[in-house]
Amino acid sequence: MNFLKQRMTTTLLVASLLLVFGSSPAAAADKKVVLVITADASDYILAAGGTIAKMLDAGAEGYLVRVTNDDKDSWDLTPEETARRTREESEQAAKILGFKEVESLGYRAGELGGVSPTELRDRILFYIRLYKPAVLFIPNPYAEYVEVLDRFYVGQAAEDARRAASLSNYQPPFAVVGLETHVTPELYYYAQPFDPRRREAESTATFVPQPKALDIASTFDKKLRAAQALKTINHSTAMRIKDRLESTDRRLPLLDEINEESVNRLVEINIHKLAEIAAKDTEHSQAEEFHYAGVEYQIPSKYLQ
Amino acid sequence: MRGYELTIYDKAARPVWGIGLRLAAFCAFTCLAGIAQRLPVGTIPPGNRLMIIEAHHDDHTWQWGFGGLAARMTDQGYEGILVRVSNDEKDGDDGYPHNDMVNLRECKAAVAHIGIDSVISLNWRNDYMDSTPLQELRAQLILLIRKYRPDVLMAYDPWGHYDRNPDHRKVSRAVAEAYWMAGYANVHPEHLRLGLKPHRVPHIYFTQRGDYGKGHEPNVAVAHDASHVRRKANAMVAHRNIYHQPQTARSIRDELRKQGLHVPELDGLSDGEAIDQIEKWYMYWSSERYGRENGLDYAEVFYQRAEWDHRPGLTEYVKNNAVSQ
Repeated sequence: MNFLKQRMTTTLLVASLLLVFGSSPAAAADKKVVLVITADASDYILAAGGTIAKMLDAGAEGYLVRVTNDDKDSWDLTPEETARRTREESEQAAKILGFKEVESLGYRAGELGGVSPTELRDRILFYIRLYKPAVLFIPNPYAEYVEVLDRFYVGQAAEDARRAASLSNYQPPFAVVGLETHVTPELYYYAQPFDPRRREAESTATFVPQPKALDIASTFDKKLRAAQALKTINHSTAMRIKDRLESTDRRLPLLDEINEESVNRLVEINIHKLAEIAAKDTEHSQAEEFHYAGVEYQIPSKYLQ
Repeated sequence: MRGYELTIYDKAARPVWGIGLRLAAFCAFTCLAGIAQRLPVGTIPPGNRLMIIEAHHDDHTWQWGFGGLAARMTDQGYEGILVRVSNDEKDGDDGYPHNDMVNLRECKAAVAHIGIDSVISLNWRNDYMDSTPLQELRAQLILLIRKYRPDVLMAYDPWGHYDRNPDHRKVSRAVAEAYWMAGYANVHPEHLRLGLKPHRVPHIYFTQRGDYGKGHEPNVAVAHDASHVRRKANAMVAHRNIYHQPQTARSIRDELRKQGLHVPELDGLSDGEAIDQIEKWYMYWSSERYGRENGLDYAEVFYQRAEWDHRPGLTEYVKNNAVSQ
């Protein structure tokens, strides 16, 4: 009996939450909105591109917010030219995955350590209230040994923005221009598999995200094509590997000649391996790994009991 | 460093309990050693130059430091550079300017024991580093990385949890940023005007206190021999301004005497000589513990990021398919 009461209470609370976000314009139009926050052009594709494509294939409406301008990651290009090319390529990649719009905030790559976290949070908060997503993807700020620290800073700001977006005392002027508070029911923390402890469950089953692996076999090709669209970054990666090997009297036969074909092949190897790493010890052949906080995680345990 | 240590290092406050706690911790570690899972034994990466970047003058020498690893690498032909980020003005009992000068001088003497003859001090104010601009510190480190082009970097773990020392936290974050960005030509392009080139450091070893819970979890053990441990111990004792505390030895011996005990190896030694000996023993104890846990005589343990670990999808492919020119 108690169990039934618990289930009914949970159902009512979930229904209440669904009503809250169900009142958004996007939901009224019967479209589930997926909002993806990324520090740079490549991270969300490599870590979450297959899962996002699957949601968009299923009819969701996708919006991408790219925080930096990626102006550092190139080979023999100026920052300005790098930023210009990567913006174009990033938009192509997003189109392949099925996004409706891409917003680029334009912060200089590698400089977010000097940006006010509150400023960053409030800019992301703006988009959460604008798009009223049902699903939010953010870089996982708790993923250890992620070398690109922009991802850490953006992850922290985005996590804070998701919470603050639901509270009216944050950014009251937004309400004046019609951006009402919004609760995002589902949250996916993504990261490439740097963290050796990424599969360890968090300490409690409620209120904290837990590890989750999702099958991406059906959208793997889309993910691959999106990753390959980032030509400037991919060329830079290939050149850096070749340069390091040459400086230590080694070579990678694949990169003896760096051209579109060899770079695309390198990307393919990378994407296949990432999917294999995420699928290890799961029922899937190709997967992506997340820490996931769904609706049930947002109900305090005292109410569940 | 000492200002943020546990009581066991607070020599002025309670020296007897300090040593007692050290011994208790050692015994606890010894008991746990039998059940601990062994780490892979690391090899020394190929290369010519190592760089240690640390907040304080003595971070390399104590039991969680890099002293043994650096000694082994310099033995194998590596050139070593140590970058001290703070001015260590709080570490010692004789006033800020005195501490700054003496600690730097002793730092140079200490690292000479482990084969390092170059110390660069950035002199940011010790224990006031919250206000040190991250980007400015990062820029200095990027410049030094590009100038010296180390093959191996050693630093505190930026992902470690519970490090109560704010200098460690600040410096480890700046090192992580510099390590990430030094290889990109579009970062500080003004450096290229000096003839410097971008440089990505291929190997990095992170450390942190081993008793801070699960935050910093080593993934490699590096073997040492007795000579490396001896030199590491000598390096530690060389920091006399903070570690040479004769009153601690006197307190230990007084306490033992009350119980009708004594340590024969300390008989005939002055309190100053005795404390130096005790500090050296402690270094042997910690090296033996890590060795025993990992099937080695002596060891240090680290979290190592190797050459291709920053590209997890390509690590295996590049390792397996790269060939000699």
